[in-house]
Amino acid sequence: MMQMLSAGGLSVVTDGERQADADNPRGYFEWERIKLLPKQPDCIAEAEGKVVKVISQLLFALPAGREYRVIFMQRPLPEVVASQAEMIRRRGTTGAGLAPAALIAGLGAHLNQVNAWLKDKANISVHRVEHGDVLREPLRVSESIQQFLNCPLNVDAMSQQIDKSLYRQRSQTA
Amino acid sequence: MPEPLAKKVLLIGWDAADWKVINPLLDQGLMPTLDDFINHGVMGNLATLRPILSPMLWNSIATGKRPNKHGIHGFMEPDTQNGGIRPVSSTSRKVKAIWNILTQRGFKTHVLGWFAGHPAEPINGISVSDLFPYATAPQDQPWPLPPGAVHPESLRDTFAELRMHPADVTEAAILPWIPRAAEVDQEKDKGLMSFAKILSENCSIHNAATWILQNEPWDFLAVYYNGIDHFCHGFMHYHPPRMEGIPEDRYEIYKDVVNGAYRFHDMMLETLLNLAGPDATVLLVSDHGFHSDHLRPRGIPAEPAGPAVQHRPFGIFCMKGQHVQQDERIYGATLLDVTPTILTLFGLPVGADMDGRVLVQAFEEPPQIARIPSWEQELGECGMHPSDLRMDPAAAQAVLQQFVALGYIQPPSEDQSKAVASAVREANYNLARDYLDCGRPDDALPLLEDLAKNDPKQTRFQMHLAQCYLALSRRAEAKQILEALITADLNPPEAEAAKAEQPDQAEAGQVAENVQQAESPQAETARTETPEALAPETTTPEAATSQEKQPNPRPWADLLMGVIHFEEGNMDAALASLLKAEQSDPRLPNLHLRIGETYLRQKRTDDADRAFQQALDIDGDSPEAHLGLAMVRLRQRRNEEAAEQALLAVGLQHFLPLGHFYLGVALARLGHRQRAMLAFETCLSMLPGLVAAHRWLAALHSQPGGDLDKAIRHRSLYAQLMQQRKTRARA
Repeated sequence: MMQMLSAGGLSVVTDGERQADADNPRGYFEWERIKLLPKQPDCIAEAEGKVVKVISQLLFALPAGREYRVIFMQRPLPEVVASQAEMIRRRGTTGAGLAPAALIAGLGAHLNQVNAWLKDKANISVHRVEHGDVLREPLRVSESIQQFLNCPLNVDAMSQQIDKSLYRQRSQTA
Repeated sequence: MPEPLAKKVLLIGWDAADWKVINPLLDQGLMPTLDDFINHGVMGNLATLRPILSPMLWNSIATGKRPNKHGIHGFMEPDTQNGGIRPVSSTSRKVKAIWNILTQRGFKTHVLGWFAGHPAEPINGISVSDLFPYATAPQDQPWPLPPGAVHPESLRDTFAELRMHPADVTEAAILPWIPRAAEVDQEKDKGLMSFAKILSENCSIHNAATWILQNEPWDFLAVYYNGIDHFCHGFMHYHPPRMEGIPEDRYEIYKDVVNGAYRFHDMMLETLLNLAGPDATVLLVSDHGFHSDHLRPRGIPAEPAGPAVQHRPFGIFCMKGQHVQQDERIYGATLLDVTPTILTLFGLPVGADMDGRVLVQAFEEPPQIARIPSWEQELGECGMHPSDLRMDPAAAQAVLQQFVALGYIQPPSEDQSKAVASAVREANYNLARDYLDCGRPDDALPLLEDLAKNDPKQTRFQMHLAQCYLALSRRAEAKQILEALITADLNPPEAEAAKAEQPDQAEAGQVAENVQQAESPQAETARTETPEALAPETTTPEAATSQEKQPNPRPWADLLMGVIHFEEGNMDAALASLLKAEQSDPRLPNLHLRIGETYLRQKRTDDADRAFQQALDIDGDSPEAHLGLAMVRLRQRRNEEAAEQALLAVGLQHFLPLGHFYLGVALARLGHRQRAMLAFETCLSMLPGLVAAHRWLAALHSQPGGDLDKAIRHRSLYAQLMQQRKTRARA
């Protein structure tokens, strides 16, 4: 999605620190400082008018007093958990230590809390994008994003960023 | 469906209120409202649960269920939003509280300040969370209510205005309680500041309660005051008589604070009763008592929730209203009985999955009691938070750990990690103790084994694990732990190792709850937010110096070793271990009971008599000590005294099958056959396999005028049980 938005003409906040790897051979659009958001909420000022990648957990730390437009990427949780397990294995770190089913339930509850929190925020508008839709209908998704952001984007260039070969953690039920 | 017995119900919670303090004040005419209340209603002890920790207990009061069912297992829980911890929340409670059930049935229902009440639940009425009264900023700065503190949101500003800031507590308010306040050096002694904080918080809650009673229709209002508990944690060591080590001048300054707290609550009670009106049925309860006499501990264990050592296992219960007896005492109530009783007042069924019972003895006529399997399966809007907002705190913590492992978020700070680990560990420990308390050692075992393995330096985990093994009759494993504890104590570790065994500063700070902060969620949160806040907060110099190290496990290990020898039938070894424990700590809870039981088994009745008397000298409200004395008196053929002691025992703790059995024996010997049979039947309702009770009933029913069918049935049951016993013995 970050590649799509960049190709569409939006300015992306990234530090380029995280290099491409087997999980994401086309590189990352990470901005490490965003992880400091809970302690340094003002750092979001650097992303004014730009695009920044934020994990759902960090939404809670967005400071009030600003307008935000959130493109919320959604994917079946079994796929998320399988993908995360593979990333954790490659990183050599220790994850939640829960069985996949328990982790799926935990992530589901977490998303419910995030959604409930977002619902009450008048300064945050949300556009939800299904991961599978991006792969199947990239042009339609790109147009919907253009409409949500209410600014002209190069939707053709956006839709050409999709590389279906990277869709490896397909849910068995998908 | 039974007829309702009440038009409206007011439930008032006074945390830690205790008859031991109240009775002298009643005698002096210093609590006139409560005096009038109990003269027009019933009163009694309210037995608590263990561990004696208020968030767990108040949620048991509100649900009629033990903590292993309602899901509130301590003071703090992981906070997924900030990666740290937060006060235990309403989204963690797994089951319906009484206000949810009443909402479901359409009653106008309000709840104020209840433990684990944040965020306020969307009930059919007003809900004000437990974070409502806490001042989060100095008076000259804004102190907005936290989001979610009031439901409905439209009343948020109204309730914010009802709060009182500690700085609003003036000299005129302080002097009646602390006439020599001017002598306090406020640089060194934060007692006045603590006093003002507790007073203002309770005034805020009271203002909210009176506002609702004056402005809103209501069928049910539950209001919780933490004042007595917090005043006692802060000032009980100055309460008369003067404790050893308390300086005379400081004693004189603060000696009236605890009594003042009770008198203040009496005044608030008067207002509530006047506003509630004569039609209301009113219940006044406390979750536990608070040691106020020679049982006051001299120090507080430096472990999480250590100040709970000051709590006494009996709270108070009072109820008045239509259909309620007047000027009567009731016996055997537990805090689990409150919700079933309120349901019966409203003519609603009691859930069969509730652990409490209806306090039928409180009513003029035995009430009709309807039952359903569970309120949890009853459909309808009940004013709980949506199920998708409720999340198991441990699962929430696991999700955060997953995000850290993925590099999505920063690892929590060291302080946060410690706080989270401590919250999870304490919740598991408390849950394990709840399982032990309700006779489910199988469920406690995996939790305690994990705790002991992960934190082997915490002797409290080892001690409870040994107790758990013993409950499971795994005596060898229990012995192994106890021997290790005894050996460790006989061979004190090097200074450095000893230092390592003490809880670290952060942990000690987090739990320095010998002041009102003991049960203040807001203060807990504040302490985890800043590193300097991790230092222990104290009110007064005496409170500051009362922290103890981890309790010495040696006397406790000797006591438990004595119990094991006793169970193995080795009375000499049992006595030797118990007397060793007595040498180290003669006031160890239950020690003299075990010594008395051992003497009884050795047929040393006079020694047993002395041991049980010693137990009563330490705690005159010990049902087990009265039970032991009942047995002694039966041996001595002093049957009237035996009956008296057995009655005292079951009066303090109704669920005491042996108490009813001894009472039956004494009454039978005294010729009170009908009353004896009733006592034996009560005993068997609690312990159906007690062979001797069947034998007694068979004999009593065989006498002229008895019920021969029952005689035959009990004789048959007696024979069956004896046969089973023989078969087991052979196996």
